Amino acid sequence: MGEGQKMSTSHLLKRADFIFKSDNDWEDVLKKNLNRTANELINELISSELKGRGGAGFPTGLKWKISSEIKADEKFVICNADEGEPGTFKDREILSRVPFKVLTAIAVCAYVIGAKKGFIYLRGEYFFLKDNLQSAIDEFERYCRKIGFDFSISIFMGSGAYICGEETALFESMEGKRGEPRNKPPFPSSSGYMNKPTVINNVETLAHTYTIFKYGSKRFYDLGVQFSRGTKLFSVSGDTPKPGIYELELGMSLVDFVEEFGDDDTKAVQVGGASGFLVPRKRFPETTIGFQGRLVGISLPTGGSMMLFNSSRSMYNVLDNYLNFFAEESCGQCTPCRVGCQQLLKGIKAVKRGEKNAAYLDKLLKLAETMTYTAKCGLGQSVANSFSSIVENFREEMIY
Amino acid sequence: MNAIEESRVNTTVIDEIISRHKGKPGELLTVMEEIQEASEYKFLDDDAMEYLSSSIKVPLSQIYGVATFYSFFNLKPQGKNSIIVCRGTACHTKGSKILLDDLSLLPGCKEAFDSGESSFTTEDKLITVKTVACFGQCALAPVVAVNGVIYSNVTSEQIKKLLQNLKEDNKDENLRLS
Repeated sequence: MGEGQKMSTSHLLKRADFIFKSDNDWEDVLKKNLNRTANELINELISSELKGRGGAGFPTGLKWKISSEIKADEKFVICNADEGEPGTFKDREILSRVPFKVLTAIAVCAYVIGAKKGFIYLRGEYFFLKDNLQSAIDEFERYCRKIGFDFSISIFMGSGAYICGEETALFESMEGKRGEPRNKPPFPSSSGYMNKPTVINNVETLAHTYTIFKYGSKRFYDLGVQFSRGTKLFSVSGDTPKPGIYELELGMSLVDFVEEFGDDDTKAVQVGGASGFLVPRKRFPETTIGFQGRLVGISLPTGGSMMLFNSSRSMYNVLDNYLNFFAEESCGQCTPCRVGCQQLLKGIKAVKRGEKNAAYLDKLLKLAETMTYTAKCGLGQSVANSFSSIVENFREEMIY
Repeated sequence: MNAIEESRVNTTVIDEIISRHKGKPGELLTVMEEIQEASEYKFLDDDAMEYLSSSIKVPLSQIYGVATFYSFFNLKPQGKNSIIVCRGTACHTKGSKILLDDLSLLPGCKEAFDSGESSFTTEDKLITVKTVACFGQCALAPVVAVNGVIYSNVTSEQIKKLLQNLKEDNKDENLRLS
């Protein structure tokens, strides 16, 4: 940590080591928790206040509770490993280093809601993980049979579509269709894969439930801050001397983060990948990383992507890169997103080339805002996050 | 084109793939992936899709819709070697555009990408150049995958050497980026 008088720090960065801690006791954790009642396990999760780590932050305990209370002939647990947000690579690391923690968590979830079948939806680009993961599953299933727990897990390979990380698009894809998001409600907890009650959790969320089931909810709850309990994995990349994955307590201030990971020339940090927010240097002090609900300052949620940019970077190029990404990955189902992404991209190019005047940027900001309200799913709704935060904070870079 | 036409996937192979996955939910994607893998030039030709459609009684429009939706499916013949450049933001920041520009020196490549294509195959079907939105290896940016192996911190020199090696002869050991 730097000792200089850069900016005042509220509290220092707190590192943690739960997820990647290599403890080979998954068999005990599984057996111990399968002996508890479903209600006990749900209450354990609820009191930990764990929220989904994919980025949306839905309370995990509540998700399991809803599915457990619905009566159906068949239910499913799906581990969402369609990690596609640019700048995020924590799920890949979890699945390759501690797969048994995730498998155990999937099995406990299945026990809680009464499912016999689990899936891991693995991103197509992560084909290189498949063989090792499959052998882990084989070993895990052998153990389940040994202890008389009737449960199986299959890997479903994605075929290269960012939108399939959206849970209902993921179901469509697993059902052999184009990965186009469904209307919500109904929510997956009551009608998901094959229209059956489905709990779908991000890889990291499941890994945290393992921590909670192993150590108890209090240990988890005591970390982090109000509304943002526990730890989170952060994928740090961009202009940093130490890119990589770090497990940190939630609620840290961006000042502390940049002091630890920046290169002393950090101009902005993109929190949450292409669908997240760009925070310029002047906003570092008032920004913390965690779920919304703080009374003072800005609290930014993130799926874990933290990308640092130094002063040599053109924010126009960054935005151009994001918009190309969105224009490519928009599924094309709803007009606001399909047309909006392309128009935003065309628009900033026109301003840059001088074909449109600077005031045109305001029109584009309005378009982005419209997309937030009218797009069908999270992809289209979140384009405005990065677009508006970059254009508003680095307007001059968009023009000159 | 003749060699490619002759290389089309045999209907008995398609029948075999279909029967292996029959009845499983979501079989369509898996079946299509395997048919593509079974083809010599790793793509779904029109005949194969039409045959699949009539065999499993799924409208051709749905099959085509799936094939065009996912980036994994190819509707054009692919080259013997694939080079995939990650265009994620971290890779972009660390210079992946320069790597793509190096590859664009292949005759016809620049024009293909400029016209909005997301993949380019050389006329001799030796090399296919593609981009991917993000490989999830951002800490190792920029990353490039050559024939399914992912390489990190790739430099412009490495790409130039790779192209040189590919041009001169085509032994697998020359495809490593080192």
